[in-house]
Amino acid sequence: MNAAESIAIALDAVRAQKLRSGLTLLSISIGVFAIIASTGITTALQNAVNMQMATLGEHSFLIQRTPTLTFGGSWRKYMRRKPITLEQARQFRDRMTLTNLISISNTNPSYVIKAGQTSTDPDVALIGADDLYFNVNAVNLSEGRPFSLHEGEQGGNVAILGNDVVVKLFPRGGAVGSTVTIRNQTFRVIGILEVRGGVMGQSQDNRVLIPMPIFDRYFTWEWDRSVDVSVKAASAEALPATVDEATGILRALRGVKPWEENTFELDTNDALTAQFSGFSVALLAVAWISGIGALVAAGIGIMNMMLVSVRERTREIGVRKALGARRAWIVRQFLIESVTLCQLGGMAGTAAGIGTSWAVTTLLRNTGMQTLVFDMPWGAVIFSVVICTAIGIGFGLYPAFRAASLDPIEALRYE
Amino acid sequence: MTSPTPIINIEHISKIYEMGDEKVYALRDVSLTISKGEYVALMGPSGSGKSTLMNMLGCLDTPTSGRYEFNGANVNELDDDELAEIRNREIGFVFQTFNLLPRATALSNVELPLVYSGMKADARHRRAAETLASVGLAERTGHKPNELSGGQRQRVAIARALVTQPSIILADEPTGNLDSKTGQEIMALFDELYRQGNTVILVTHEEDIARHARRIVRLRDGLIESDKSNGASA
Ligand SMILES: Nc1ncnc2c1ncn2[C@@H]1O[C@H](COP(=O)(O)OP(=O)(O)OP(=O)(O)O)[C@@H](O)[C@H]1O
Ligand SMILES: [Mg+2]
Repeated sequence: MNAAESIAIALDAVRAQKLRSGLTLLSISIGVFAIIASTGITTALQNAVNMQMATLGEHSFLIQRTPTLTFGGSWRKYMRRKPITLEQARQFRDRMTLTNLISISNTNPSYVIKAGQTSTDPDVALIGADDLYFNVNAVNLSEGRPFSLHEGEQGGNVAILGNDVVVKLFPRGGAVGSTVTIRNQTFRVIGILEVRGGVMGQSQDNRVLIPMPIFDRYFTWEWDRSVDVSVKAASAEALPATVDEATGILRALRGVKPWEENTFELDTNDALTAQFSGFSVALLAVAWISGIGALVAAGIGIMNMMLVSVRERTREIGVRKALGARRAWIVRQFLIESVTLCQLGGMAGTAAGIGTSWAVTTLLRNTGMQTLVFDMPWGAVIFSVVICTAIGIGFGLYPAFRAASLDPIEALRYE
Repeated sequence: MTSPTPIINIEHISKIYEMGDEKVYALRDVSLTISKGEYVALMGPSGSGKSTLMNMLGCLDTPTSGRYEFNGANVNELDDDELAEIRNREIGFVFQTFNLLPRATALSNVELPLVYSGMKADARHRRAAETLASVGLAERTGHKPNELSGGQRQRVAIARALVTQPSIILADEPTGNLDSKTGQEIMALFDELYRQGNTVILVTHEEDIARHARRIVRLRDGLIESDKSNGASA
């Protein structure tokens, strides 16, 4: 009864002092927001990195025009780079000597796949792949066959479906041998991908593979004609030499002068990890430091609100003491009140933080970072509940003790 | 006036307020004994020290000098929390301005002392409802103070004072904010409590009200002017 009453009083205080409470709760919200949003976004980026590492095998590397993760101002630099065309990628593949496990592929998100009257949501990833794609990226089929060398190089209206698409379009089976339609083009289904499940919440099965030449001709966006090249070295020992050879060949093909830097990204797992951790440490540090700063400022605001609350309720405190409330009861009552206020601000900040990291993740995904997945930052949510409680108690203690040590007679006489 | 068990025993009590250089003697060397089951009115002009004495008796205030024994315990030696416990278990307060918590229902107001004594919720609700019924408010348990008349509010306050079954009931001008008819109804309630064996002490400056008591203590300038039993009483 008493806790519920204290919570009700806290909510009342907010209503009575809209502006001041609003500002105080806002600064708590901002602090919590900074912490949750930054953690949410870095978690999503981490997921993207993890997913790429999972797809790249042990001693493989990936060549792309732009990095998987792009930050800040460098975006423009990357956008000026010429695309890695299918033609260029093929020349590169033909010149490589240290390995012949080289696959050329490309991915675009957000396609609708149809079979008869049934269609999927517009969220299927469409992948252009060649015959080596399956070996180099360790992708297996549960049914049917992979693309042939001829299909991979010359094209053909054949498709391989991920399990999500199969479940949606062919719930009663019989996918292989049927036809599907993608943007007015008809494809014969020749295989089904092995179920991979989700990596960090995003399904790896909601995808459709078609031969790379078809993809390049009909499904590439004009402003993003660049393909991805996966290279698998013969062994872990051979990886550094293979990277060197690939870099040299590609620089020559793309006409990079000796004094210029690469006009492409060559990411091994190690490079990716290093690139990412530098960024995420910086983002997290800035956001958490400013978040905690805002929370401390908010704590001072909370303390003020509570002091006002104690003053306005001096008489009530006198009555409670006359009726036999011990000091601890009074302290408890006001601490519950200040923790409630903090949680109120914290909840708003948490909601905004989660919303923002979801929005940023979605935005980045739609602008090219296709492997980004939003993941609920539970750790940060729990942290914000804990820190709001700590602030409520920390900054509520002084007003609470002030209330508890009021002289009952003075308090009863207070107008 | 020679009842066997003294519940209140004060000896040579003074209360001095320091106002800068000036000293205000609210009470000077007051001694008083009150026994179980007495019905006492404290009277006197404004500023004579009635409220100061009442607060002292109610363990809300401590004397500057002198000794106070409540139910055999030396109040001078108790700390804040021990005083709170005595107030909670032994003393029921009724104030002139009712002092109900405005947000809480009549029932919650009456329950409050039981919350502080640690009684379980079920027992608490039952006891508070019974007590409200005993002051004639069985139908009003869910009302907030602003939904009750002045007389009803004071009845809630009396129920709150009674709910812990205290040793004494202290009322400082309990009818001061009520019209005279309602005031008499409240006094009838105090008379009834007295008849049931409760110890009742009230402060008033109205002779009409004081007449209800069996003993009248008159204060003037912080001194006891007279202390007489009141023969002509209802
Ligand atoms: N906190 C205080 N500081 C200074 N002086 C005080 C304080 N409390 C009471 N006094 C003084 O002590 C004296 C007695 O006050 P008290 O309140 O006991 O009078 P009272 O008999 O209850 O008067 P009333 O009938 O007006 O309520 C008064 O002169 C008052 O000014
Ligand atoms: Mg008075």
